[in-house]
Amino acid sequence: MTDAIRLKAKDYKSEVKPIWCPGCGHFSVHNAITKAMAALGIDKDRTVLVSGIGCSSRLPAYVDSYGFHGVHGRGLAIAQGLKVARPDLTVLALGGDGDGFSIGGNHFIHACRRNVDITYIAMDNEVYGMTKGQASPTTPMDWDHSKLTPHGPGVRPFKPAALALASGAPWIARGYSGNPNQIAKLIAEAVEFPGFSFLHVMSQCITFCPEQTDWKAIVTESEAPPLADADEAAKQFLHEDGFQTGLLYREQRATWPPPGATAAEEGAPGKLAAAFRV
Amino acid sequence: MATTATDSALANFLAHSLELESEARERYGELAESMDAHHNRPVADFFRRMAAEAEHHLQEVAALAGHMTLPQLKAWEFDWPDAEPPETASYEALHYRMSLRQAMQLALANEHAAERYYREFANRTGDAGTAAVANRFADEESGHAAELERMIAALPASGLHLREEDDEPHMPE
Repeated sequence: MTDAIRLKAKDYKSEVKPIWCPGCGHFSVHNAITKAMAALGIDKDRTVLVSGIGCSSRLPAYVDSYGFHGVHGRGLAIAQGLKVARPDLTVLALGGDGDGFSIGGNHFIHACRRNVDITYIAMDNEVYGMTKGQASPTTPMDWDHSKLTPHGPGVRPFKPAALALASGAPWIARGYSGNPNQIAKLIAEAVEFPGFSFLHVMSQCITFCPEQTDWKAIVTESEAPPLADADEAAKQFLHEDGFQTGLLYREQRATWPPPGATAAEEGAPGKLAAAFRV
Repeated sequence: MATTATDSALANFLAHSLELESEARERYGELAESMDAHHNRPVADFFRRMAAEAEHHLQEVAALAGHMTLPQLKAWEFDWPDAEPPETASYEALHYRMSLRQAMQLALANEHAAERYYREFANRTGDAGTAAVANRFADEESGHAAELERMIAALPASGLHLREEDDEPHMPE
């Protein structure tokens, strides 16, 4: 940290005030990010938050750091490119369930596979909130609150943790917006993890899915150490109810790009940097 | 000078108290702003008043802490009975259409939670000096709760539920 005085969480909030609905779980993630930044003493000027489109993707504007409000579903692509070009920066990608698992679904699975050293926070409220409440890839199949799907979407929802594991993500955790301090702790660990860290946050949308206020009674906090065996994790992620929070899976594997591939790391152009040089 | 058990217990208690009041102030301030954004002025004004109350109590605690060296804890290292500090309003209890009565009832529950926390801290600390301060804080929270109960009793009978003058969330045809 370069600031002479240790900053508090509120010092990492920008002057732009969130316009999310009162009760939105994204407020919790916003607070958690700033708490984690304060706890780690992260330098604002060397941190970038990148997002896609949607309610949750407004978040970079609310943090006093660099931010990039990108194209729908493309936050991960931008974030990875930035980290490869500037490995000295702390890069967080943010988005919602529609942005990350539908429009940006392909970027998500390849980000897991590629293992660039960034943190991805997916705020999952199981609905497209910004466009007023349509079913998303994580909406329960019998959710019939939208006139577009009056009998429910009728298809099984994605299991983001299982999808991330199958795609090669080495660090997988889950949080719940009713517990911002746990999310903050997980974000701090994710940022310090050397590789792609995926934090799935159950973030309630009480406006379009008021039934999500029941989550508080369902969520359980895992006390167990994270799994390191992919077979065991696969079995858990495929069969769980999705409401267990904590660091669920962690393994160590080589990040991308390999050491020496970028100019910024070695002070001289590597093969990757040279390939992009015009 | 060596640190005594009393110093240590009191420092731990005051660190938690500062966090409790600071979080309450931040949350009420945040809720006021979000209610402003959604044009629910009566509730916004009430939450702003609660933020000011929390700020007032925060300053009292800070003055008491004076030049004591308090433990520097990360947000997740504090020991709370629930996920968040007792006086912090839960996000999921909010709604843009909430009535002033509902907002006051939420705040009342928070005051009771804070009182319970301070009282239980006093009962389990084992340090008489810390217990006295904790009981004093509990009495203050009890006073806030009584004031809120008076305010709720003075409200008109209507407004028990979500405000009807606000629109339902739009659902596409």
